[in-house]
Amino acid sequence: MSDVLWALFHVCIFPGGLFALAFALYLKGLDRILVARMQRRVGPPVIQPLLDIAKLLTKETLIPKTACKSVFLYAPVIGMTGMAACAAFMPIPGVFDGMYNMGDLLVLFYLLPIPALAMMLGGSSSSSPFGAIGFSREMLIMLSYEVPLLMILLTVAMITGKATGLGTADFSLLNIVQYQLNHGQFGLNPIMIPAFVAYLMFLPGTIGVPPFDVAEAETEILEGPLLEYGGPLLALFQIGSALKTFVVLSLGVVLFFPGTICDIWIFNLVWFMVKVLIFMFIAISLLRSATGRFRIDQAMVFYFKIPAVLALISLVLVMVV
Amino acid sequence: MSLDNLLKKASVRSPWLFRINAGSCNGCDVELATTALIPRYDVERLGCHYTGSPRQADIVLVTGPVTVQMRDYVVRVWNEIPEPKVTVAVGICPISGGVFRDSYSIAGPLSKLVPVDVNVPGCPPRPQAIMEAVVLARSIWMKKLGLEEK
Repeated sequence: MSDVLWALFHVCIFPGGLFALAFALYLKGLDRILVARMQRRVGPPVIQPLLDIAKLLTKETLIPKTACKSVFLYAPVIGMTGMAACAAFMPIPGVFDGMYNMGDLLVLFYLLPIPALAMMLGGSSSSSPFGAIGFSREMLIMLSYEVPLLMILLTVAMITGKATGLGTADFSLLNIVQYQLNHGQFGLNPIMIPAFVAYLMFLPGTIGVPPFDVAEAETEILEGPLLEYGGPLLALFQIGSALKTFVVLSLGVVLFFPGTICDIWIFNLVWFMVKVLIFMFIAISLLRSATGRFRIDQAMVFYFKIPAVLALISLVLVMVV
Repeated sequence: MSLDNLLKKASVRSPWLFRINAGSCNGCDVELATTALIPRYDVERLGCHYTGSPRQADIVLVTGPVTVQMRDYVVRVWNEIPEPKVTVAVGICPISGGVFRDSYSIAGPLSKLVPVDVNVPGCPPRPQAIMEAVVLARSIWMKKLGLEEK
């Protein structure tokens, strides 16, 4: 019984649910301010994402007459709950060990595409032609970034498995963190640096920020899958996307830089959050403020040409060395 | 303060803008894009955000003298915007027809078709005037929600 209660606590309060949501909304607000400052603007207040969600909750919900109603209504809920569950699997070094410690990296890999799938469901059920275009674009960009992601995760699992004497890949996030705490972080290991760079390139694609926001391109296909969404349903999509930002950024920290600074959990938590902020600044804000948007074919070719090859180099090096 | 009131108070700080070009010469549209995009007149500090979808809009900015061809589309798109919404007519054309007044191809002014809340005259209006209109639209939105202005 208490196991169930603890699992609920981890999904709803810490590190999933409330904590993840508060931190993710703060990240989004800070990202908007950083981009504005880099473009010499003032920028919105840091609580702007929260205000947006509050605004959307007060608006009325419109459902298109020709839409598939049930799928249209449930798609944002699926996306949000998938990510809340994902956040509970995330170990925070020195604070929290992750909910389950057997093969949770594989579970994460299967849970990560859920918001994109929810967006595809929502877009295709909305009966809007822009939704259909957004659906196909979302699917293409997802196919391109999943390949490097799988190779990066495999690389990290292999190096841990080989070093701990397991022989094969070790898909336990806790073991990966423990190994790095004892033997040095993967981000500083020369043979893992290509995989780390590939992970940084994977981040903007999965979060859907320029130059990889081809699926929600508001100037070409009017937000694509989100075109028919407004009001509370759009608020759910925004919460889901904020949680996804938190999950993929923390996964990067856990896989490559999980170092702790002392034994006191509160300092470790703050240190973890600072690292997530630095990841966000490099992979999202800096890139977003300086670039336009790729065409869908350019984005796809980019993912197959550079991050996939970098991840493959690391994988081969790990196998050989 | 009740939760409902709190949500309403927060909501006016996040106005999302939607543009309808009803046969404009593009002068006002350039002015609108400039107002949002260049650093000097940053509307994002008011929480504004240009949205591509009428379903997500709060403040709708209409430019152009509503041509006969555009009339039905303007009304249709305007009806797709969820309540509460505020309509702003940008430039002299949607207000009175401007130089196209009494032309055979004009169905405007805009106020004949939809209720207009704020008028921004000018050909094209200055960016500062558009910003002021957005701020004014925000206070009208507050009144529509039943809140008193501070």
